[in-house]
Amino acid sequence: MPRDLGDVIHHFLPQDGNGTGPDSVTGGPRLERPAALPIISLPIGDRDVVRAAYAWNLAVEVARRGASATLLAPVSAEPSPLWPEPGRGPVGAEVVLADVNDFGELNRAALDIAVGRAADSGDGGVVLVSVPPAWFENANEGRALMRWVLLFAAAEARDLREIYGLAKRIIRTNPEARVGITVHGVRRIGEAESAFKKLSGAAQRHLGYPLTSYGLLVDDLHVYRAIVSRRPIGLEHPQSRAAKALRDVARMLLEDARMLANA
Amino acid sequence: MPDLQLIAPPPRDELIAQLRGRLGHAVPGLRVLAERLLGADSTIDFVALEPTGRVVLILVGDRNDDLELVGRGLAQRAWVSARLGDWTQLAPNLGLEPDAEVRVVLACPAFGAEASAALRALGSSVMTAVTYRCVQNGVGFEVLLEHPFAMDPELAGEPVGSTQSSTPDSSNPPSFRTGLSDADLGLTPEERSEFD
Repeated sequence: MPRDLGDVIHHFLPQDGNGTGPDSVTGGPRLERPAALPIISLPIGDRDVVRAAYAWNLAVEVARRGASATLLAPVSAEPSPLWPEPGRGPVGAEVVLADVNDFGELNRAALDIAVGRAADSGDGGVVLVSVPPAWFENANEGRALMRWVLLFAAAEARDLREIYGLAKRIIRTNPEARVGITVHGVRRIGEAESAFKKLSGAAQRHLGYPLTSYGLLVDDLHVYRAIVSRRPIGLEHPQSRAAKALRDVARMLLEDARMLANA
Repeated sequence: MPDLQLIAPPPRDELIAQLRGRLGHAVPGLRVLAERLLGADSTIDFVALEPTGRVVLILVGDRNDDLELVGRGLAQRAWVSARLGDWTQLAPNLGLEPDAEVRVVLACPAFGAEASAALRALGSSVMTAVTYRCVQNGVGFEVLLEHPFAMDPELAGEPVGSTQSSTPDSSNPPSFRTGLSDADLGLTPEERSEFD
C-alpha cells in the first residue's frame, strides 16, 4: 500500500488547537464485529528497551482512540524490565505476558487473544505481539504472526541493514505478508524520509516487494523519560512531538486494521 | 597523618574537575575528547574515546539522580550515535570508529534497584555504571570510583574500557539490537552495499 511520510508532516508545522481532547475513533463507517482482531507482529529483542517502549506506547495510543489494544509478549525466564506489569493499564491498554517457548506457541496465544478480544471490541482494535526476532527463523507462512509485521527502524545505516534483513526473512517466508516500517530516533522528517526510501528502494530492487510506511517516531527526550518512568508519553506529555507522532502511527495502524477487517 | 574521611560531594564544578583526572583509572586508556558538550537537550559531562575507537559518554549525577540519568543516557546515546559519521568527517584524526556502538557510563553516588534493573536490561555494552565517593585527604579531597556491579555477571559482562571492539569481527559476530547477527541476516553483498 503506497503511503508517504508526508502524511505526518503536519506534526512538524504549526497547528491550531491543543490536541489534548479525546481522540475520536478513526473515521469511516463502523464495521461489523470481526471474528478476530488483526495481529501485528513487532520483532523486539529481549534487551531492546526502546522498541519495547514504543510498542507499549503504541498500544496505549490505540486504546486512547477507543479501540481494543492488547500487547502480548513472551514471558522470559528472568523478570524482564521491558514490559509493565500484566493486566489493564492506562486507558484500558492491556499487557499480556505469555509463557511460550517458540513461534508456534506464541502464534496460538496471539490467536486466542485476537478472537477473545474481538467479541468485546465494538470499535475494533489490534493485538500487538512482541516476537523475539530469532523466532522468525522457524516461522511459516500460514501463521497469523506472519501476516502483518511492523518493523521499527532507526535511521542509521547499521539499523537499516538489520531491519532490511528482517524484512527479507519475513517476505521470503510469506510473500503475502504486509511489512510496514516505522522510522524512529529521528529529529527531522527528512531523515525519516531518507531512511524509508533506502529501505523501500532496496526491498523493491532485491525482493520485488513494496514496503509500507507507518510514519515516524521522533527522537525526543520524553521518549526516554517515559521508558524509565514507565508512564505513557501520550498521557504524560501529550503536546510533545513524540506523542503526536505516536498518535499518527496508531491512527495509521487502526485505519489499516479496519481495512483488513472489511476486506 | 590525618585520617581519611568520607565527605559529601563538593560543588559540581569541583567534582567534575576531580573526575576528569580519575576517569582513566575507571576506564583504562580512556581519552577525554570534550567536556560539557551540548547534546540532546542537556549537556554530556564528558565525551571520551576508548583505545578501540569506541565513543564513551560519561554522565555525572548526584544522589537520587540515578534513574533520571539512565533516561538521559539513552537520549544522549541516540543523539551521539546519529552524529558519529559527521564527527568522523570533521575530525578524522581522532580515531573514532563510527560503526562501533556508543557506550554510556553513568557516575552516581549510588544506584537504586530500579536503575540497576534498567541497566541490566540495557546490557553493559550499552550502558554501565560507576559509583563515586569523596574522601577528605588533608586539606583537599579525592574522588574514588568503583564498579558497583562488578559481581553481577549481567552488568559486568564486558568490562568498562575493554579493548574488545564492537565492530564486525569474524571471531565475535556483532549482534544487532534484535539479537541477530550479520550472519543471521543473510544479505548478499549487493544488499549490504545498499546501506553502506
